[in-house]
Amino acid sequence: MKLDIVHDLQSVYRKLVDSTSRPGLITDLGKEAALLDGENETGCSHSLLLLALTLLDPEVTFKVFSANADRAEKELNQLTFAKTAEADQADYLFILDDAEEGSLEDAIQRANPGTYLNPHKSAVIIAETGAIRDGDHLVLKGPGIQTSTPVNVEMDGNWIRRREEKNKEYPVGVDLIFVDQNNQLLSLPRTTQVTEKRVVMNEWVM
Amino acid sequence: MMNTAYNFAFFDEGSKREIRRATLKAIAIPGYQVPFASREMPIGRGWGTGGLQLTLALIGKKDVLKVIDQGSDESVNAVSIKKLVSDTTGVQLTESASEATIIQSRHRIPEVPLKKEQILVLQVPLPEPLRYFEPSEHETKKLHAEKEYSGAWLMLFEQIMKYGSMTTGADHPVMVHDRYVMAPSPIPRFDNHKMDENEALILLGAGREKKVYAVPPFTKIVSLDFEDYPFEGESFEGKCCRLCGSEGVFLDELIDEGTGETYYQCNDTGYCYEVLNKAEKAGVN
Ligand SMILES: [Zn+2]
Repeated sequence: MKLDIVHDLQSVYRKLVDSTSRPGLITDLGKEAALLDGENETGCSHSLLLLALTLLDPEVTFKVFSANADRAEKELNQLTFAKTAEADQADYLFILDDAEEGSLEDAIQRANPGTYLNPHKSAVIIAETGAIRDGDHLVLKGPGIQTSTPVNVEMDGNWIRRREEKNKEYPVGVDLIFVDQNNQLLSLPRTTQVTEKRVVMNEWVM
Repeated sequence: MMNTAYNFAFFDEGSKREIRRATLKAIAIPGYQVPFASREMPIGRGWGTGGLQLTLALIGKKDVLKVIDQGSDESVNAVSIKKLVSDTTGVQLTESASEATIIQSRHRIPEVPLKKEQILVLQVPLPEPLRYFEPSEHETKKLHAEKEYSGAWLMLFEQIMKYGSMTTGADHPVMVHDRYVMAPSPIPRFDNHKMDENEALILLGAGREKKVYAVPPFTKIVSLDFEDYPFEGESFEGKCCRLCGSEGVFLDELIDEGTGETYYQCNDTGYCYEVLNKAEKAGVN
């Protein structure tokens, strides 16, 4: 493997730290992802595999949402020795872009949100999304953000509202990490408030 | 030179992964103490093993590290931490707060404002701010869960009754993001406000108690106080550093053994040298 599991995964971790401590800051896993070319049998994107290699080991559990979930789970287990678990038990939920429509919403709804006593015993959802880039479709607020910051994620569906419902009793909640086909990474910890800028169709509506 | 008999950054990858997962959770829940399986370290306990473990899990070949202990880059503690990190990573070390990408510190937040490219790692001896009145970990966890902080306020109130002011000295508790009461580590009250809406990520690590917690950038930090007894940092009004002339910084009070006179010096020695060097350069030009 061209990927150096010590130095390249350290670099992935630091980008994860940067993006999680500054929600809306898009980091680029392109350099590390290129090192996986031709060596990724999981069916996951390179970026998602990098995150799995950074976070998974026998001490944690995971679940994959994908049309080929069995294959991905088997490969990830062989690479990291992490065991699979049901959606409501798993520490990490991976949503691949070939997963059934509504999988992200489903994962958010079922994921373990932790408890008031142990809010850290909650799931992290890592999803492959459409393009993540600068833009103002979404507006983010919360710790890590000075006033507010805009970002674009090409992702249909109801995930924003589902996430808001899931995280409404802070500190319990789930943390989201998105990666796109261009290895761009966006992190949305539970403290981040996401609002969608709605296109006003008729300005005369009172 | 890096000693290749060790793993890079001392730890095996499994240990780093565990600390990393806990650190990410800590960032996601500002001020909440995330437990982690603290490792045995080749330096004495109480010598910053908590902070050191966070630093080792973070550090990469390109990082530039500064370590300070009570404001000093040269203390035995700072030197032994620097040696361990440098021996196992080969990273560049610095005494300049502005050049560092990672600053590990005990008892101080540097005088030079932190930047967004930097991470401050604070060493924590006692992570639980409620421990003074509640010895049971199970009970303090419950109090945090219920956001039941009347005990913390009562503790401060009793001090005011007894001494006429809040006498917390260092480690004055703060409220993080309107949710968790947190021990800022034994920094002087003077440094508390630096945590509020700070540009940099601040990570706090307690080795003996096996906890990591975090203050993300731009997070609201409020020192606990009362309307009638507002929180105040140590004041050095009308005083300045004898060496560099700085005002508005945290000063150590010293006594000249010859004359018996009291004088003041910057506690943050790295800052003091930088101010002196700048003045020297300006003088030459
Ligand atoms: Zn000075």
